[in-house]
Amino acid sequence: MRLTDANFDEEVFNSKMPVLVDFWASWCIPSQMMKPVIDNLSKEYEGKVKIGKINVDQNPRTRERYNINGCPTVIIVKDGREVVRRVGAQSDSQLRSLIDQYGE
Amino acid sequence: MEKLKLHNSDLTCWNCPAIDLAGKVDFRACGQSTKELAKISEDSDTYIMAECHRRPELGLFDPMGITFEECPEWQRTAYGYMLKDMRVMILGIDGYLGWTLALWLGKLGCNVSGVDNFSRRDWLKERGAHTVVPISRMTERLSAAKEVLDIDINFRQLDLMNDRERLKEFMDEIKPDAIVHYGECPSAPYSMIDAEHAIGVQKNNVLGTLGVLFSMRDIVPETSLIKLGTMGEYGTPLTGRPLFEGMFPADAVLTWDNREWSLGGELTPRDPVSFYHVSKVQDTYNIVEACKYWWLRSYDVMQGVIFGVYTEQVSADPRLRTRLDIDEWFGTVINRFVAQAVIGLPLTLYGAGEQIRGFIALEDAMQCMTRLIASPPEPGQYAVVNQMSGYYSLRELAETVAKIGKSEFNLPVKIQRLENPRVESERHPFEPIYENLPKRYGFKPQVSLEEEIYRMLKLLTQPKIKTRIEEKRHHIVPKTWWSGEKRQVETIEILPSGSQVETEEEKDEAYGR
Repeated sequence: MRLTDANFDEEVFNSKMPVLVDFWASWCIPSQMMKPVIDNLSKEYEGKVKIGKINVDQNPRTRERYNINGCPTVIIVKDGREVVRRVGAQSDSQLRSLIDQYGE
Repeated sequence: MEKLKLHNSDLTCWNCPAIDLAGKVDFRACGQSTKELAKISEDSDTYIMAECHRRPELGLFDPMGITFEECPEWQRTAYGYMLKDMRVMILGIDGYLGWTLALWLGKLGCNVSGVDNFSRRDWLKERGAHTVVPISRMTERLSAAKEVLDIDINFRQLDLMNDRERLKEFMDEIKPDAIVHYGECPSAPYSMIDAEHAIGVQKNNVLGTLGVLFSMRDIVPETSLIKLGTMGEYGTPLTGRPLFEGMFPADAVLTWDNREWSLGGELTPRDPVSFYHVSKVQDTYNIVEACKYWWLRSYDVMQGVIFGVYTEQVSADPRLRTRLDIDEWFGTVINRFVAQAVIGLPLTLYGAGEQIRGFIALEDAMQCMTRLIASPPEPGQYAVVNQMSGYYSLRELAETVAKIGKSEFNLPVKIQRLENPRVESERHPFEPIYENLPKRYGFKPQVSLEEEIYRMLKLLTQPKIKTRIEEKRHHIVPKTWWSGEKRQVETIEILPSGSQVETEEEKDEAYGR
C-alpha cells in the first residue's frame, strides 16, 4: 500500500498487524529495482504482514521524524515499535528472512 | 463504461514535465546534511505542492492527485496518453533515426524541433561513401514536410560540442518536454580506423553528451532525456549471464563466503566491442551521475541493430525519405545484406557468421521511442530499456534475405564467409532480457523481419537506387581491421545454397539457450 505523511502513523504505528515499510525515492536505482519484489511480497503476505511503500521526497515529515538517512531503507514495525531496520538493497530472500524473524 | 487502461494512465503530475516542483520538493535530502531539514517541525505543513505551467488556474496542488488519464492536457493516442502539442526536441534530426522520428512525431501532433551539424553527411563524404536512398537537403526536407504532411519543424544548425551557448538558447526558446538524443556517431568500424577517428568519435559522443547534460541542468531540468545507447554496450559475455536491462534486478544476488547481497540496482558489467561502444558506455555512466546529482530524468535506450526503410511518413514522398547507408562503416548488417542481394554480391558474414544480435525494425523503433516519450521518468529517475523485437544469428539473417530475394525478386543470392576484421566472439551464448518495453510501456512489435526485408528489397531494386549501390560496391567489403592492419579482408568460402542453417537443437546447444 502507498503510505504518506498523512496516513503513516495510523497505518504503521497503530496497525494490529506487523508492518514492513520500504522507504524509496525515484532517484534511487536500487529502490526502483526493489519495487517488483516488494509488490510480490505484499500479495504473498496479505492478511499476515502489511507491506507499505513510502516515497521519501514526497513525504519529508515522515523521513525526518524516523530519521531515514539512506535509500532504500526497510523497517519492520510491530506493536507500534520499530523492531528492525536495514539500509541498502535487499534481495527477495533477505526480505523474507527479515519478515520471518521479526514480522511474525 | 470504464476506459481501457493504457500503459501510462496512472502516472501522475509527479512524472509530468509541465509541472513545476522547483523549490517545493526537498530532493535528495535523504541522507544528506542540509540546513533546510531543520525547518521541518511537527506542526509545519510538509505536503509537497506543485504548480502546473499549462493549467495555472489549479494553483498549488498535490502532484500525486491527478493522473494522466484524468488530466485534459494528456490525450489518448495509439501509443498511450500524450501531452497536447508535446514539445519534443531531437538532437541529430538529420540522421537515419532522427529524421524518421521527426516526421513520425509531427504526424502525431507533437511540436517538433531539432538540431544537427550534418556531421553524418560529412563522415560519409570523407569515406567516399553515400546514402543509397537519395535524401534532400535540410531546407528541402523541411518544406516538403510542410507541403506533404503539414508538419512544421523548428530546425537549428548547431554542433553539440562547440555551440553549447546556442544549444542552451534554443532549449530556452523551445522549453522541450522531452529531448531525444540521437546526436552521436553510430559506427564501430569508423571508430576503429585510426587514432584520429577513435578520438573524434569519443569526443563527439562522450563530450557532446556531457555538454547536453549540463545544458539540461541549467535550462530544462524537468525535461526527460531519451538517449540512444546500444545493446553493444553489453557485448556478448562468455559467462552466458542474462543481459539485464542496465541494472541487476533486486532478486539477483551475489553470494560469497556464505553471505548474500542483493545486486539490485547495481549497473551490470559492460563488455563493449569497439571504441564507439566504449563511448556509449561512458555516456551511460555520465547520465547516471547527472540523474543522481541534479535529478535529471532519463531513459537510456539500448537499441538492438536497427534495419529497414519504411514508415508511412518517410515513404510519402521521395523528398521525405530517410538515409540508408550500406558501406562498411555506417551500413548496419541487414541493410547491407539487402544491398548486396540487389547487386549480386554474395552476402558477407564475418568469420563463422554465428554471432547473435538483437534486432528491431525502423518502424518498431519509432513506436518504442514514442511510448517512452509519452511516459516521462520520475524526477531523478534513470532507467534502461533494451529496445529489440527479437534476436537472430547473422547467418540466419543472411539466409532470410537470400530466401526472400530469390523467391520474391528472382535474385540469385549467394552467401560468403570472410575473414573477420573485428575482435569478437563468433560463437557465443546470448540471453537478452527485453521485457520493460512490452510490459511497462505497452510495446508490441508490428513489423516482421520478412516484411521489412521485402519492403527494403522493393525499394532498393529500383534502378536509380540499384545504380547508387553499384557505385559504392567497393565500400561494402570491410577494410577496417580492429588490429590496425590495412588490407581488404579475404573470402574464406562461398557457402552452398540452403545447406547452412543449423537445426533448432544444434542452435540451442551452441547458444546455451
